[in-house]
Amino acid sequence: MSRRILSIICSCFILGACVQTPVIKEDGYAFIGSNYPIVSVNGVETEPVYSLDLETGSNTLIIVYNSYQYDYYCTFTWPAVENTVYEVTDQDNRYPLTLYRWVKVNSLWASRLDYQDPTECIRKPRRTNSDDN
Amino acid sequence: MKLPTFKNYLLVLTVNAFVTVTLNADPVPGLSELSDSIVRESAFAFVNTTTSPGLEGATLTLDDGNRQSDQWRSSLGFSAEFTIKNHIFNGYWGMAVVGGSLNDRSELTGDSGQPVQVDLTRDVVALRGSFGLSYPVTQHFKLRPYLSLSVSDLQTESIVDGLLATVPGGSAEATAVFNSSAQMLSTTGSVDALYSRWYGGNRLELSAHYHLIYTDAFSEDNPILETEAWNDVLQLKSRYSGPTRLTSIGRPWRWLLYANHSNFLSQDNLSLGYTSLFEFGVGMEWQMNIKPMDWFGWQMVGLKAGVITSSNVEGYFMGLTAR
Repeated sequence: MSRRILSIICSCFILGACVQTPVIKEDGYAFIGSNYPIVSVNGVETEPVYSLDLETGSNTLIIVYNSYQYDYYCTFTWPAVENTVYEVTDQDNRYPLTLYRWVKVNSLWASRLDYQDPTECIRKPRRTNSDDN
Repeated sequence: MKLPTFKNYLLVLTVNAFVTVTLNADPVPGLSELSDSIVRESAFAFVNTTTSPGLEGATLTLDDGNRQSDQWRSSLGFSAEFTIKNHIFNGYWGMAVVGGSLNDRSELTGDSGQPVQVDLTRDVVALRGSFGLSYPVTQHFKLRPYLSLSVSDLQTESIVDGLLATVPGGSAEATAVFNSSAQMLSTTGSVDALYSRWYGGNRLELSAHYHLIYTDAFSEDNPILETEAWNDVLQLKSRYSGPTRLTSIGRPWRWLLYANHSNFLSQDNLSLGYTSLFEFGVGMEWQMNIKPMDWFGWQMVGLKAGVITSSNVEGYFMGLTAR
């Protein structure tokens, strides 16, 4: 019996650990996670990163979607809300990348809400000196 | 319940005993029209037309003069891409539980010239897992090579009616029943070429899918199925979808039209009575957009209904889809 209880507890622990809300830096901040590199934050070029703490209010990010023939530099401008998690991903939508508000529903899944297209995506030939492959 | 008479019981026993002894030489004694290779190819064809990646549910009816059959297949599965950071290519995985059944009734000619009815029932349950990569060539076009492994359990019951019984003093026709099972391990190498483009809120998707399947079969009670086989399947798919004004729980619905063609390239027409299928249909998809395990996106669930056709084959599909 104790083995069964232990296995149930372990299962709950594993399942509970599946979906976790990212830690938001502090009040006045939001968080964004991206499946593709963020290369510019509010007009300032940065080293490619995949997650950021954002100050609430209007933010403009440039995120690069890579393909073998082209790179697509997609610009997102939106008002980030305090203590909110955002996510940028590719979902075969009209533009290569889409911005969502990410909400944990329960331990098993999160929800992607408030679909937002980039304001523009600029297509450039693929960089030949890229480390990516 | 009517109990068999002693004479009938003896007939069945005799036929069954005879078959058991000579199974290695001939699938059905007195019915050489049913060769080993036909039995093998028929079994592989059924498994491949049920469990191959990319196939969705279907209910098919074949009527080809001396042959009538009913076949259905259904699957519960999911596949998705996942991002591999610092690489252009994405990962791809899928899992599915697949089931299907075939009832195939043929009228053949026995070795003595008498008509023989063969009533074949096959059932298969398979578990399939896929893993591969997805290469975006442009925003609109990607190539997706992947490997699938599937394990299938195939159960077959054959009822042969009209064999001449070899019992002393009798020439009555007899019914023989054969039961066999086989386990099949399939490795499938697939390449998908996927193209999509948006026109306002409408989306056009075109894709070609090629699957090369190697199957190793094991059977303790039917040596004919203790073998291996190579098969290949080509699928061409198209779909056109657009927005609707409908929403549920704040999420929109989209309508869709689709047309698919499946060609079982290496399959002999004798195996199942068909080698290709065309499917046309309509559907509705609900964009639920969740992220299970916070790992991969599950964009849509939908309802689809379509008709399936080919020479001598009519069928339909109605069911749930997810992607």
